[in-house]
Amino acid sequence: MATTSIQYLYKPLLHHHHHSFTTPDTSLQFFKHLTTTTTITTNSTTLKLFSSLSSSPTTTTSLTPSTNTSPFDTLAEHLAAANFRQADEETRRLLIELAGEAAQKRGYVFFSEVQFISAADLRAIDRLWRRHSGDRFGYSVQRRIWERKARRDFTGFFIRVGWMKKLDTEMEQYNYRAFPDEFIWELADNTPEGHLPLTNALRGTQLLANIFTHPAFEEEMEEEEGEEKEEVERKGEVKPKERPKFIKSFKQDYSF
Amino acid sequence: MASLTSIPFTLPPSSLSQKQLFLHSFLPRKLAHSTKRGFKVRCAAVGNGLFTQTKPEVRRILPENNQGLPRVKIVYVVLEAQYQASLSAAVRALNADRRHASFEVVGYLVEELRDVETYESFCEDLKDANIFIGSLIFVEELALKVKDAVEKERDRMDAVLVFPSMPEVMRLNKLGSFSMSQLGQSKSPFFQLFKRRKQSAGFAESMLKLVRTLPKVLKYLPSDKAQDARLYILSLQFWLGGSPENLQNFVKMIAGSYVPELKGTKMEYEDPVLFLDSGIWHPLAPCMYDDVKEYLNWYGTRKDANEKLKSPNAPIIGLILQRSHIVTGDDSHYVAVIMELESRGAKVIPIFSGGLDFSGPTQRYLVDPVTGKPFVHAAVSLTGFALVGGPARQDHPRAIEALRKLDVPYIVALPLVFQTTEEWLISSLGLHPVQVALQVALPELDGGMEPIVFSGRDARTGKSHALHKRVEQLCTRAIRWADLKRKSKEEKKVAITVFSFPPDKGNVGTAAYLNVFASIFSVLQGLKKDGYDVEGLPDTPEALIEDVIHDKEAKFSSPNLNVAYKMSVREYQNLTPYASALEESWGKPPGNLNSDGEHLLVYGKQYGNVFIGVQPTFGYEGDPMRLLFSKSASPHHGFAAYYSFVEKIFQADAVLHFGTHGSLEFMPGKQVGMSDVCYPDSLIGNIPNIYYYAANNPSEATIAKRRSYANTISYLTPPAENAGLYKGLKQLSELISSYQSLKDTGRGPQIVSSIISTAKQCNLDKDVSLPEEGEELSVTERDLVVGKVYSKIMEIESRLLPCGLHIIGEPPSALEAVATLVNIAALDRPDEGISSLPGILAETVGRNIEDVYRGSDKGVLADVQLLREITEASRGSITAFVDRTTNKKGQVVDVAEKLSSILGFGLMEPWVQYLSKTKFIRADREKLRTLFEFLGECLKLVVADNELGSLKQALEGSYVEPGPGGDPIRNPKVLPTGKNIHALDPQSIPTAAAMESAKVVVERLLERQKLDNGGRFPETVALVLWGTDNIKTYGESLAQVLWMIGVRPVSDTFGRVNRVEPVSLEELGRPRIDVVVNCSGVFRDLFINQMNLLDRAVKMVAELDEPIDQNYVKKHAVEQAAELGVTVREAATRVFSNASGSYSSNVNLAVENSSWNDEKQLQDMYLSRKSFAFDCDAPGAGMTEKRKVFEMALSTADATFQNLDSSEISLTDVSHYFDSDPTNLVQGLRKDGRKPAAYVADTTTANAQVRTLAETVRLDARTKLLNPKWYEGMMKCGYEGVREIEKRLTNTVGWSATSGQVDNWVYEEANTTFIKDEEMLKRLMETNPNSFRKLVQTFLEASGRGYWDTSEENLERLRELYSEVEDKIEGIER
Repeated sequence: MATTSIQYLYKPLLHHHHHSFTTPDTSLQFFKHLTTTTTITTNSTTLKLFSSLSSSPTTTTSLTPSTNTSPFDTLAEHLAAANFRQADEETRRLLIELAGEAAQKRGYVFFSEVQFISAADLRAIDRLWRRHSGDRFGYSVQRRIWERKARRDFTGFFIRVGWMKKLDTEMEQYNYRAFPDEFIWELADNTPEGHLPLTNALRGTQLLANIFTHPAFEEEMEEEEGEEKEEVERKGEVKPKERPKFIKSFKQDYSF
Repeated sequence: MASLTSIPFTLPPSSLSQKQLFLHSFLPRKLAHSTKRGFKVRCAAVGNGLFTQTKPEVRRILPENNQGLPRVKIVYVVLEAQYQASLSAAVRALNADRRHASFEVVGYLVEELRDVETYESFCEDLKDANIFIGSLIFVEELALKVKDAVEKERDRMDAVLVFPSMPEVMRLNKLGSFSMSQLGQSKSPFFQLFKRRKQSAGFAESMLKLVRTLPKVLKYLPSDKAQDARLYILSLQFWLGGSPENLQNFVKMIAGSYVPELKGTKMEYEDPVLFLDSGIWHPLAPCMYDDVKEYLNWYGTRKDANEKLKSPNAPIIGLILQRSHIVTGDDSHYVAVIMELESRGAKVIPIFSGGLDFSGPTQRYLVDPVTGKPFVHAAVSLTGFALVGGPARQDHPRAIEALRKLDVPYIVALPLVFQTTEEWLISSLGLHPVQVALQVALPELDGGMEPIVFSGRDARTGKSHALHKRVEQLCTRAIRWADLKRKSKEEKKVAITVFSFPPDKGNVGTAAYLNVFASIFSVLQGLKKDGYDVEGLPDTPEALIEDVIHDKEAKFSSPNLNVAYKMSVREYQNLTPYASALEESWGKPPGNLNSDGEHLLVYGKQYGNVFIGVQPTFGYEGDPMRLLFSKSASPHHGFAAYYSFVEKIFQADAVLHFGTHGSLEFMPGKQVGMSDVCYPDSLIGNIPNIYYYAANNPSEATIAKRRSYANTISYLTPPAENAGLYKGLKQLSELISSYQSLKDTGRGPQIVSSIISTAKQCNLDKDVSLPEEGEELSVTERDLVVGKVYSKIMEIESRLLPCGLHIIGEPPSALEAVATLVNIAALDRPDEGISSLPGILAETVGRNIEDVYRGSDKGVLADVQLLREITEASRGSITAFVDRTTNKKGQVVDVAEKLSSILGFGLMEPWVQYLSKTKFIRADREKLRTLFEFLGECLKLVVADNELGSLKQALEGSYVEPGPGGDPIRNPKVLPTGKNIHALDPQSIPTAAAMESAKVVVERLLERQKLDNGGRFPETVALVLWGTDNIKTYGESLAQVLWMIGVRPVSDTFGRVNRVEPVSLEELGRPRIDVVVNCSGVFRDLFINQMNLLDRAVKMVAELDEPIDQNYVKKHAVEQAAELGVTVREAATRVFSNASGSYSSNVNLAVENSSWNDEKQLQDMYLSRKSFAFDCDAPGAGMTEKRKVFEMALSTADATFQNLDSSEISLTDVSHYFDSDPTNLVQGLRKDGRKPAAYVADTTTANAQVRTLAETVRLDARTKLLNPKWYEGMMKCGYEGVREIEKRLTNTVGWSATSGQVDNWVYEEANTTFIKDEEMLKRLMETNPNSFRKLVQTFLEASGRGYWDTSEENLERLRELYSEVEDKIEGIER
């Protein structure tokens, strides 16, 4: 029955929505489990993009259990200062944190945990990226490229946003870019649209697919059609009338 | 990828094609159309030319701050890059700790040690190392390098730890008083433990067992030793535990205990954290499980799972993982597969094991102990290894046993191990050859399918990462296979695909040895009975042909096959993501192939849920410029549209490729380990591929398995019969028997005179030197002449050939099996204690069978006669035996029971009964018994029928048992058919037995050549290596090359051949003969390691310090080096083949399509396509064009040489033998312009022969094309049979073109048989007018090209016939 499944799916969403803001301290545990962290940060010249999601920079200590600050403040600061490299790290860290305790222990987000991230949180992150990049960075920007230009093909998407590089072979072939050196950490004219934030393909593309099909960005699509709606969306409230869309997009997650 | 487009690519041998050309015009058409693209092959390798360019420096960790702490240096060598990240993390943590010591660590991956510089730096690093660690060093060459380097420093070093590796390296182990230097020799119980287990599967498994039995072992050791041994075993536990924490404690323990400066510091370490040896792991699960019920319970409680995944009907995939990836945390690629499967709604049960034996864990975790049914619908191994034994000692029977119980489709996907992602992407070979041997060839012996590379390796961290598209491909395919297990028969859709070579209506449904439509009909009836929906299936095979090809006899105008679907260009582009990539070669869709100008056409016919479709062809067969420079290496739009239709419109649950063989698997791409842009992978898409394949062609079957992911199911080649005698040959035989009875009556001279004249009529004068008629002959001379003719006649008569074509589901009757059994009985099988029947019979008259063979070959009349009697007695006794096991319908009934009753006490066995009436009455009864028991087993297998059964199993998603392909006579294990064919472990050849046989053939060849060459040895022999040949004979022809240059293979501890050593000139007793080795494209794909071995052997021989008149390799190499201005080593390049991803010289295609101007053009084709060399000094470069050296080497050839490996495939049966023949080419290249001698070795019978090519061509014409028994057998098969006859004639023209060794009378006789005989002519024309037209055309071509000199009358008749049949085909009423 449709109604029961809505309930079932909806409850954890609300729960985790709440949880994500109140228990940021679990991130400490997260660091303990990051076995590859040091490998990457100390000795990296041509590290592949893959090594990044399970890693985290040693500098992100801003997320203290203290009270009134928004968990997105650090991200906002980095973005405001055009520190895209740090902003990118912070975004991944936030994503893991928002995905819940298990993800933090593990050090990466399993695709099916994306449903537990609230639309508001994802949109908040996205909004910051867009605001500080003139709408050239951010998940919703990427989603549009993936959906419309790459027709949901990830190779096409990776090439468009500059995450894969062409190899010097006669048959057209692409390999993943090395992290971090081969990425562009500034908003320059030649920086491809959607280049940041980076979600790697180390564990395939299901995580990114689930971010793109998250209800948060289903609404963004709507938003583009009617500009005036944008203000409402930015308040980050999940309105009851949006639920049917949520179901629709949720189903899409799982049936290719 | 450099290779994909730059390398000319074409059809495999015998995949012919043609577009009708104007009759007398042999000018290539469409010349203007072909753009002359440069023939450029880019070399994939950079830098050192090796497979991997990574350097150990990325793994070096230097302590940042020394602070006066003692410094400890660790050097490690591993196969498993997953240890890199974990070990680096451990050491960094220790250094950050700054307590007792500071650590320097540097790691080498085994494969990197091939590089000279890297090896030097390894040796340099060892000089001041304190600790050495090695693991999984199983490649012999590299193991020896490691051993040599470490040995020098072993005594000085504080500790040496080697985990499962080759014994040579294991012996380096030392921890204090504990040492393994006695490994394998010592009698101490500790080492006995190793020894005993070495015989069973899995070296690593035994190490694990050792850990488990630790306390017991320690009891046997004195106490100080016990402490050191205990630390060794703890080390192993730490190592297998693999996590950074474990490795940190491991380093602390070893350094603290054995580095002298640290001995006083008391470095504390924790005990190893032990993980389960085997169990179930899921990234979301709170723990590892060792009980599947517990795991499933947890799975059911997952909050993140959606309804689809929770559904009880969801497909379930079992995953097989390596524990080391999980414990070291290098598990991203595993997680990717799990996510991909779950996101597609498939549940997973990911199991792991620390050892290398997964047969137990698959049973424990994937099979329900109560019902015995599997929990899963398909199993996917992500380890890449064979199920039992990993890289060391495999136990395939045990693996098969376990998989049979599991009974689901079994896929073995691979992670990149020896290469980084980029190295794999740019390589035209694709997967590293060592990995192919270990992780593709070996899993195939278990019945593993679909070697899809699903993960890459990061150059810097060594970590594995998903290749997102490959993971998608793997997972969707696994789910599709699982669906076969889940869906009902009624709803399953099957797309049967037939081939058409050349693309002509006369050829729809081509497949080697198979009556395709009759087989399809029989299969469909079987499926119908089984519950599949095949609504509307006609009542006869003929009606089926009619439906598919509309009007097979083309009596009326019907230019097209039945169109099953018209696909608009837009639809095509939507359904085919890679469509735009094809435009470079073929322009915008729809193009003009399989197209009506607006749509793409799919030919075929649908019955219920079964679609029978015609696979399009390569599309450039008739275009000589493309054949020569075919950069157009991509399928055409029509080809792509066919597979898009099957997958996305018809929505097939499985495609069944029907018979040997199609072109899908020969489409361009990497050799092994397809990437996203390799065409076979893109074309097959997500459809499970089942492929009926001739049991005697394991090499090409293997290509189909690797490149198009086929689950092959073998079918029997038609039962071979003796060629028999006919016409003049029969008369001769009668004359000879009257000579024998009457020779002493005074009529002898007269009969001999008749024999001589009849022999001349039969054109035997070229094979036997006959005296002039009327010449006076002595009695001895007469006997000799008759003996020689007799021997020739016998040779023809006893030649084995398949008559007719096989029909799936129709096993041979018992009597049809007799000829096969006679031949099985003709071979000694010393390993099984079985003597050959001719051997047993010869013994009873006091002769050795080898002597009889030799005498008969020489024409000694008495021996020829004796051999004939032996042959007859063999046939007679076997027939007597088979009769007794056969019921009135000619079916074999329960051989086992019959045998025991036959063998019962006091009874006379049927064969003894039979023999008692012959001169062999005193034959050894015991030996006969043993032999006939074996023959009984073989008989059972010959007539067993699993071909349809196995297909049903495959369609039901069951495991299809693997079995070797090859020659049932040499290897009866090929039987029964209906198995998933595999080749062999490429590192196992050549075997010692093959080496022995090779010596005999080489010596015979050299003898023969000396006879024809004024007593001189040939300086160079040009020869060909075939894949199937080497599989069937376990590397005989490979061994022949080794013996010619005078080297022998040396096997390692595991029996693998990776090394050669020179045989001394004294032992050889002759000069080393130079060689030019031309490997077929298939051989290159399957045996690249052996090409490497050969190249090393040649280079080694060229560099020996020997006089050049005793070493022709050296002689030529020195000359060539001077002329080319290169080193001798570089000049000593003798191992050639096609460029990677390309097959055959295309000479066959040109001949089959009559699309060539002159022989020079064919020779250019050969040179341009075959002059790619493999260089053992730069193996990573793949095949590199070295045409100059190739030509220079060929110009020294005194002889050309090929092997015939089995009776059913002879010179004119397939086009690939002449395709690779360089005889005329060599003549053109030689400075003296002399034609080289051409030889063919025939090892198809117990009495191996070396004949000249001309002799063999004649023998072949006599036994096949001109033999009524053969062509009548073909005619019985109707439509397909006519094509077979035409094919033989076309191939004969091919021999004229490449070697000039076809006599005029062959064409003349063929013309008499097929054209002059009005009755025959009518039958041919009626049955298959298209093939008949080609036959007529070929006759005219033979004459037009000057190969056949005949009367104007004959030619006039042929021209008439041509226009007659042309009109008929075009539907013009006369």
